[in-house]
Amino acid sequence: MQNKNLKIALIVLILASGIIGIVLYVAAYFFGLLLIAAALVLYYFYKRVGEGSEAAGVWAKSFIKKLYIPVIGIAAAILLGGLIMLATGYNPVIAYKALFYGGFVKNWHISVLNAVPLIFTGLSIAFAFQAGLFNIGAEGQFYIGSMAATWLGIRLGMPPVLSIILIFVIAGAAAAAYNIIPAVLKVKTGAHEVITTMMLAHTAKFLSPIFIRGNGGDPATSSHAYVTDAIRETNFLPFFKDLLPKSNYRLHIGILIAIAVAVFVYYILFYTRIGYEVRAVGQNKNAARAQGISIGKNIMIALLFAGFLSGLAGVNQVLGLDHKMFENLNAGYGWNGISVALLAANNPIGVIFTSILWGALDAGGQYMTRTTQIPASIVEIVKGIILFLIVAKYIYSFFGRKLSKRRKKNIRREA
Amino acid sequence: METLLQIFNTDLLVATVRLSTPITLAAIGATICERSGIVNIAMEGMMIVGAFFGLIGAMFTGNPWIGLVLAVIAGGIFSLLHAFATVSLHLDHTVSGAVLNILAFGVVRYLMVMFFGHPGTTDPIQFSLKNFQWAIPGLSKIPVLGPIFFNQTPIIYFSFILVIFFTFFLKKTKLGLHIKAAGEHPLALETIGVSVYRMRYIGVLISGMMAGLAGAYLSIENAVSFTEGMSGGKGFIAMAAMISGGWTPVGAFIASLFFGFADALQVRLQIAVNLPIPSELFIILPYVLTVAAVAGLVKRSRPPKADGTDFMIERPE
Repeated sequence: MQNKNLKIALIVLILASGIIGIVLYVAAYFFGLLLIAAALVLYYFYKRVGEGSEAAGVWAKSFIKKLYIPVIGIAAAILLGGLIMLATGYNPVIAYKALFYGGFVKNWHISVLNAVPLIFTGLSIAFAFQAGLFNIGAEGQFYIGSMAATWLGIRLGMPPVLSIILIFVIAGAAAAAYNIIPAVLKVKTGAHEVITTMMLAHTAKFLSPIFIRGNGGDPATSSHAYVTDAIRETNFLPFFKDLLPKSNYRLHIGILIAIAVAVFVYYILFYTRIGYEVRAVGQNKNAARAQGISIGKNIMIALLFAGFLSGLAGVNQVLGLDHKMFENLNAGYGWNGISVALLAANNPIGVIFTSILWGALDAGGQYMTRTTQIPASIVEIVKGIILFLIVAKYIYSFFGRKLSKRRKKNIRREA
Repeated sequence: METLLQIFNTDLLVATVRLSTPITLAAIGATICERSGIVNIAMEGMMIVGAFFGLIGAMFTGNPWIGLVLAVIAGGIFSLLHAFATVSLHLDHTVSGAVLNILAFGVVRYLMVMFFGHPGTTDPIQFSLKNFQWAIPGLSKIPVLGPIFFNQTPIIYFSFILVIFFTFFLKKTKLGLHIKAAGEHPLALETIGVSVYRMRYIGVLISGMMAGLAGAYLSIENAVSFTEGMSGGKGFIAMAAMISGGWTPVGAFIASLFFGFADALQVRLQIAVNLPIPSELFIILPYVLTVAAVAGLVKRSRPPKADGTDFMIERPE
């Protein structure tokens, strides 16, 4: 009995210190990291109390194992990027110092702001990937979500929290609806979603200027051409600085929503019937069909939910950061979303970290250019190399196979 | 009536051919690639790479023909990454394609800043392949058909020749037949002693070179400078053309003409129609038609049997 109470107390303590730690850390109160670390250590003890020291040891080992592959990949990419800088005449030490200081310390809030939409599009692409589908047109759904959020944000005047929730749900649903076309075509005719979602992404992008002109951005009549009217202030997402005065004034709570949604997607994928079916379809269609799982239904679910998630990226940008919608924003959230999803091996929790890494590289790159005159585009190269190192594990297994073959041959020869 | 004539005239068809050329070239390349069994969604990225290197070559030598050659080589080399990843490393074809698209944008942006000091649009070249517009004597005098097919710029002529060449290549040459076999029944090909890996490498390489040529058309024939994102989804439209064309060069050519026509038409409609309709509604026309075409025709055309599948074999050494 006492053991049970201790367990509950421990869970509460772990969750509290973990969540508070995350909130503090993203708001650039870096000592929050200590609380996050404390939560992890406490979780280890919780495992020990509940399942014995062996299970706890296994958990700790698997946790460290999960960390070390990406860490090695990123380190190798940094090294290679440094060599490229040397080859093209820049000093990599100065560059990386500025890059990391800018991305993770000085302009940490920009990194976080960059990461928020990426987490959503990354989750969208990862979820579709789990069903064996490639939602390459996430950018289009982002535009639909932005438009819907702006339209509602200008008009809805309900009590603050209620209208924000409504906007999230409705704008997300609008983006999901936009994915009905590729989903139905995929199920009914087999039209490849790479082509249909990509074409619809271009369509949404080209339609957005019409929307912007219709909502206050008409150059003929408006003082602020090519930008919509601002949304109502009651529909702004809350800012961190309301609670933590030292944090940057632009930092909104979108990051917390994004993390919560990522945990939710993880739960759906790995702990529910829906997630199980979606993954089964993604892994082996024939086996799934043999189990009585409907392929068509799960394709619909995966693409629609993916659209919903990408739409949320747009909602966040409008309600949290911009408070209006701009024309010609070459956001690139679709393409970068693919990167972060692949890098995280389509794991929703991993997407959080890869998005923050991507956001920090962008923010750090800008800081680097300002302070050292080294072009920020080197960041694109570093990103490219990191991405290419995803295939590193395939290269490893490729050479591994060759080696084992040679070994086998030698053994045969000896025999 | 007058408006109609303003839209539907020979110029529209001339523009159709011009706008469809990059799609045709990429679609033929993608067709060969998929006939060998490899799905290539990196056509867009390879086009970008080709377009950029085409411009670099034309700019620094002053000779657009060298630019053309460089574009084809760059597209080819870039495509070898895809071949290595999908054939040798057995990586998923779409994953590798997506990574290469992203990598292409990154590499080009970096090189652009290195060469020109800024991203966006490069400086223009003085002398482009447009200067080599050539009216074929006699044939170009034929009414309507003359200006459409026989008074064009070099890469457009190449695209006509390549349609015929690759049709012949797939049907009559040994290499072409082997490539097709690699995409239909790789194991059978391997049993007669032909390397499936090699055939697939060649298929991907051809697609990369064709995408490079398409890119060169964009930057040094149809325009005089390189702009980031100038491919505007044409690599993906080319894949749609490949599917709509039933994985044959001639089919891909006809489908590309259709998409080029949609593009030419929307430009004209924007100019000619004086109704209060936002011009964006015309711009989306080619994209919407692409979706419709893929949806309508995909059931009727049959992909190569082993398209997009991995092939692994342990050879005795």
